[in-house]
Amino acid sequence: MVRTGVSWRSQWWTHGVLSILGFVTLYPIIFMVFNALKNGIETAASPFSFPIHPHWNNFVLAFQAILPAFWQSIIVVIVSVSFMLVFSLLSAYAFAWLQFPGRELLFYVVFALLLIPGILTLIPLFIEDKNFGLLRTPWGLIFPYIAGGQAFCIFVLRAFVRNLQEDLFGAARIDGAGDIRIFSLIVAPLCVPILITLGLLNVVGIWGDYVFPQLVLGTQHETVAVAITNFIPPPIAPSLDAFNLQLAAFTLSAIPIALLFFLLMRYFIQGITDGGIKM
Amino acid sequence: MGLGPKVYTEQMASSVKAHEMRQHPAVRTKRRYSWKTALVAYVFLLPTLIAIALFSYYPALSALLGAFTNWNGFNPPQWVGLQNFAQAFQDPIFLASAKNLLIWSLVGLPLSLVPSFVVAELIFHLRSTRAQYVYRTVFVLSFVIPSVVTILIWQYIYEPTGLLNHLLISMGLQSWTQSWIADPKYALWAVILMGFPWVNPFNLLVYYAGLQSIPAELFDAAAVDGVSGLQRIAHIDVPMVLSQIKVLLVLSIVGVTQNIVVPLIMTDGGPGNSTTTPVFYMYEQAIQYGNYGYSMAIALMLFVVVMALALVNIKYFQAER
Repeated sequence: MVRTGVSWRSQWWTHGVLSILGFVTLYPIIFMVFNALKNGIETAASPFSFPIHPHWNNFVLAFQAILPAFWQSIIVVIVSVSFMLVFSLLSAYAFAWLQFPGRELLFYVVFALLLIPGILTLIPLFIEDKNFGLLRTPWGLIFPYIAGGQAFCIFVLRAFVRNLQEDLFGAARIDGAGDIRIFSLIVAPLCVPILITLGLLNVVGIWGDYVFPQLVLGTQHETVAVAITNFIPPPIAPSLDAFNLQLAAFTLSAIPIALLFFLLMRYFIQGITDGGIKM
Repeated sequence: MGLGPKVYTEQMASSVKAHEMRQHPAVRTKRRYSWKTALVAYVFLLPTLIAIALFSYYPALSALLGAFTNWNGFNPPQWVGLQNFAQAFQDPIFLASAKNLLIWSLVGLPLSLVPSFVVAELIFHLRSTRAQYVYRTVFVLSFVIPSVVTILIWQYIYEPTGLLNHLLISMGLQSWTQSWIADPKYALWAVILMGFPWVNPFNLLVYYAGLQSIPAELFDAAAVDGVSGLQRIAHIDVPMVLSQIKVLLVLSIVGVTQNIVVPLIMTDGGPGNSTTTPVFYMYEQAIQYGNYGYSMAIALMLFVVVMALALVNIKYFQAER
């Protein structure tokens, strides 16, 4: 592509603006990591400075404090997102390629949910969990998360599945493959990039969700987002360093997502780029 | 993974061979169904339908009905008609929260849409693809930080001894220092303007993808015709990413209306209800005071407003195309 209209001057200007904005955008993260490695006295004296004598032990203490919450979050995320994606891909396939009575109606039943905001159901879900005996159990989170992800995932996946080459299916059908074969051997593998994108968006959403988990699980079985918000430093830590330990806990809470993100970045950007995020 | 596909047997799969049903929908004039295909479709849809019936529609309907009742969570709900709604319009705290939400939306929506677009533009029109990749990564990086962390760090930034005041003092602007979120005069603006420079990673990527899908010939033609950068943005870039802008606007409206985390963990709606939002008030009414009926009436009003805005938005933009 030739872009003749752009001179090197305007490009330098662009680099300058982007670098400054990028730095300011990332500054809270830089601040978090730097101060996670200081003690309370150092932070009070110079919050902006680089940690010259890093206190790595802060991370050990913070990790001990939030380890149970880590496990709780990992279980909730894995179970919710796996079921969410399997259910929604099955439905997307049905909506995209199968003809059946009531298709239109069910389509509206599913997509009407895109318009129902989470706030409308927050309190009723809490009461429902209470009545079903799901309060203080991970299932009280997992079931609503699976249901809550359906509309958006099906919306994106249906468009994606619909755009797959019909020839692929035709050939498979002539060879006698049924819908289950076609679904699991052709459609599902081709959907991997978009599934990773949707999965990552939902993992990030669930991992960082605060309001619903603190209602459902309380402080006994808290998830990571709740544990770092109501952070309680271990008793052996000096009370002056409480804020630094909390920053260390913040940093730790971002690490699993960061790892996933760097492993899957290529798919993620590809998924948003080819995906149906438009109307 | 999952229960999904395992439930169905291989016989069912092989019995479905309805080739004739596979024609393109537009080609077929008469609608005929193969019951085998229909059965497969229902089985495929079943997990989704059970999940949304129990955990989306049931709670949504109980919110809808609960809004017209007086219910404290213990005694059976009593039907009170529109009383909860009437109460809301005379409730000074609810009205204050509605006003806060209005200000928050008017300022917050442009902040969530415009800076991300500007940055996407700047990155997209860089010549070096390597530089594009680096900047994209930099701006998307904050995606990995849970939003509660961002809010709590901003809380520290705004504290009387926090980063913002430190920065002002170091620039010799001692007299400008404030206790930003403890002062009712500044608190709402402090929380609205939180997150400077407001580049949202998700919005950025969506815009960027939209810009990438514009045919390169359009840019080449514009360059040949000597079109300036701003003219190109107004006449090519913005119209071509309009469908992305539309989606992001709807998502941002829904997002700003649901703003509960900031008041919940940062300000508790204060000082003096200056940062309370309708959602936060709904939450307080239910969880702290047990007024479930009233709480659901507030939720229902919000839902109606958001839905109306979203539909207007979708209609308006469709008429444009």
